[in-house]
Amino acid sequence: MKRLIAIVEDEAAIRDNYAAAFTREGYAVRTYANRTQAMSAFAARLPDLAIIDISLEDEPEGGFELCRQLRALSPVLPIIFLTARDSELDAVSGLRLGADDFLTKDLSLVHLSARVNALFRRVDALRKPEQAGDVLQRGPLTLDTERMQAQWDGKVVLLSLTEFWIVHALARHPGHVRNRQQLMDAANVVLDDNTITSHVKRIRRKFQGVDPGFDAVQTVYGMGYRWVE
Amino acid sequence: MSLRLKLLLLGLLTLVLPWAGCRYAREMESALREGEQTSLESVAETLATSLEGRVDLLYRAPPGADAAAAAALLKAGPYDLRPEALAAAPLVDGYSEDWPRDPSAWAWYEKDAAHRFGVLTGVYERVLYLLLDVRDAHPVFDAPGASPLDARASGDRVWLGFQDADGSERQVFIAASGPGAVTARYVEAGEYGQQHAQLEPRIRGVWQLQPGGYRLELRVPLSMLGTGFGVLVDDRDARGATPVSYGSLHPDDLRTIGHLVVAAPELTAYLAQFSQPGLKLAVTTPAGRVLARVDALKRLAELGPAPPLIARLYRRFVDQPGKAPPIESQLPIYDREHVQAIGELEVTQTADRWLRLRDRALTRMLNFTLATSAVVVIAMFAFAAWLALRLSRLRQASESALTRTGLIASFPDTDARDELGAVARSFSSLLGRLNEYTGYLRTLAGKLSHEIRTPLTIVRSSLENLEAEEVPASARAYLERARQGSERLNAILLAMGAATRVEEAIGAAERSRIDLVPLVESAVAAYRGAFPERRFAAELPAEPVSLEGAADLIVQMLDKLIENAVDFSPPGATITVRLRLAPDSAVLEVENPGPPLPSEAPGQLFESLWQSRSGGDNRPHFGLGLYIVRLIAEFHGGEASAANLPEGGGAQFSVRLAR
Repeated sequence: MKRLIAIVEDEAAIRDNYAAAFTREGYAVRTYANRTQAMSAFAARLPDLAIIDISLEDEPEGGFELCRQLRALSPVLPIIFLTARDSELDAVSGLRLGADDFLTKDLSLVHLSARVNALFRRVDALRKPEQAGDVLQRGPLTLDTERMQAQWDGKVVLLSLTEFWIVHALARHPGHVRNRQQLMDAANVVLDDNTITSHVKRIRRKFQGVDPGFDAVQTVYGMGYRWVE
Repeated sequence: MSLRLKLLLLGLLTLVLPWAGCRYAREMESALREGEQTSLESVAETLATSLEGRVDLLYRAPPGADAAAAAALLKAGPYDLRPEALAAAPLVDGYSEDWPRDPSAWAWYEKDAAHRFGVLTGVYERVLYLLLDVRDAHPVFDAPGASPLDARASGDRVWLGFQDADGSERQVFIAASGPGAVTARYVEAGEYGQQHAQLEPRIRGVWQLQPGGYRLELRVPLSMLGTGFGVLVDDRDARGATPVSYGSLHPDDLRTIGHLVVAAPELTAYLAQFSQPGLKLAVTTPAGRVLARVDALKRLAELGPAPPLIARLYRRFVDQPGKAPPIESQLPIYDREHVQAIGELEVTQTADRWLRLRDRALTRMLNFTLATSAVVVIAMFAFAAWLALRLSRLRQASESALTRTGLIASFPDTDARDELGAVARSFSSLLGRLNEYTGYLRTLAGKLSHEIRTPLTIVRSSLENLEAEEVPASARAYLERARQGSERLNAILLAMGAATRVEEAIGAAERSRIDLVPLVESAVAAYRGAFPERRFAAELPAEPVSLEGAADLIVQMLDKLIENAVDFSPPGATITVRLRLAPDSAVLEVENPGPPLPSEAPGQLFESLWQSRSGGDNRPHFGLGLYIVRLIAEFHGGEASAANLPEGGGAQFSVRLAR
């Protein structure tokens, strides 16, 4: 059975382009232009993944509300925000509402489908019993690359997909400096320096949430970041 | 010349008020003088009219004498004596020192060149004083001890003949046996034709010798005298010799020829009624002999207290030097028929009277006008100071409103309703609009990138979908070009939004204490790797340079400065990164050889969207790099500046960070 992707986007051209791309990838796609349409459809049947724009027709923050309602219906459903808004505040709000990723619309379709695939893989992995081979262990850090889950000292650190990939890129070769471009490539995004900086900041804060003494992600001024054990 | 000084000078113009006051006081003085003159004349006229025809009041006449008899006194004959009203009683001592020194007051009688005498007469307090100056080559005294009636023992003699109060003729004589006090005697015819010399104790005097003759001073109570009066001198060259008799009596029977013209005793009292301080009243005979006077010229104290010091000071501004002359008025006193003058009235008033009046007004006016001037000057000065303060505040505000880097600070509000307030308000609104505009320009890139993103996404996703479709090979090239174009457009959008994201990052930045030395050191090391075709020189201080700041932002700022230096320097050039300590700040300098800075807008280098380079590479440039440098420098309480190195050595960008 084909996986169902719901796209909630008020701009018809973008909506249809995304729908076409995902259909081509072999997914079933349903598109909605606003929150009311989407919610009434979701009440009947939950999609396997939802891609939501933040501003929907006459609701500038409609996507946030939709995410909240959708998360209430299913705690595990992958949700991706895809928006033209790229402010730090919007990203923080979206991720706080339980979205798995927050992406800007300049992301290419290739990158987007890579994320969607990754998220589906995670859903599958969560259903299966744990496999030891897919786990990266770096001191207190445990990265489950299948489930895309990070643990620090055995405690789960909730990371968005982008953040997970950044941590993964850093922790794979501890001590090696990863510059911003390398991190962007790893995370399948095109971002500017400040966005990378704020991602790193958010990662540090999340780890510091479970361990206030966390400082494994180090800034190498002028070059990038590295993981220190 | 400052505004304050100008208004002060303007205020000093009010000193024209006191000056005009002085001029006015002078005018007033002459007007006052004229007024006083007029009033004095009217007083004199009233007085003269009240005395008109009052011969009896002017001249002493024997009791019972009618007006006509009194008027006869006016028909002055050569033998009449007109005693002066004396200001004080002379000491009867035979000397003339205490008499008025007026040669014309003397009446002279002479027989021949060798025989002449002069009489000076005066009246004071109803007593007639006489001073005789007899020229006599051989003054002869009576023989001592002899009877005054003994012709053989007789020396020089002086006879007074007068009509007594009843009108009968009487004679007394004065004889002396030596210089000194004398008493008059009269000849009494006794029984049997005998004659006795009786003393007349009311007439006394002193006989003194003097070179060329002798002098006799006498006092005679006026009550003894009627109108007729005369003096006769018997001059003997030797004791008992035949005398040479001459004078104003008949030499034969010693009857009076002339009259004694004296003021009526009531005249002085009458004049005294009109006496005022500072006023002198005098009645004279038509010939000018003073009959009576009431002199109060010196009694100024009664005019009021002396003028205060300030008034005397003011007077100096107004008065010409010299004493102000008194004002006078002279009027003849006529008889009833208004034909003949029976006397003359002189009224004199001292200048002090109107001067005091004027001084009082002058003092008040000068006090008032000077106070007004002072108030005006002070008020104008205060106003000018206030105005200058407001203007300088406005100037300061407008100077500091546009900061060097172009950021517009707030402009102080003002409620002043005057033109200055209007200027300040229009400045304020102008700056407000400018600020809005600048803000609009600053956010324009961010807004544009946001608005363009959606259509660009449509284009890009459509292209990506198109690539998955069957496209003829000939069309592939166009597709690829469209994709490249959209990528570039995307890169441009990212760059355009960069400033907004930096501002956000700055807003969220956290400060901590950092040491710049290792930070710059590590960054420079990274640049050596990132830009292999440039050389980097780091000049770092030995001691730590620590400040409160955000390390990420500072590195980002350094990145932008280095990118800028790399862009403008030729390959192989050495870029110098220098960190040094200033008193309150740390200074980060990046120098690169290369072309000089554009000269037209040194301040705008650090503005958003300012770019002055001729592009060559494919990377989009929005001149945001230096704008970001400025934002980060300002976040650290500092500023960014740029300058050319000397001798065309390139450019130096300098960032001051507060410590």
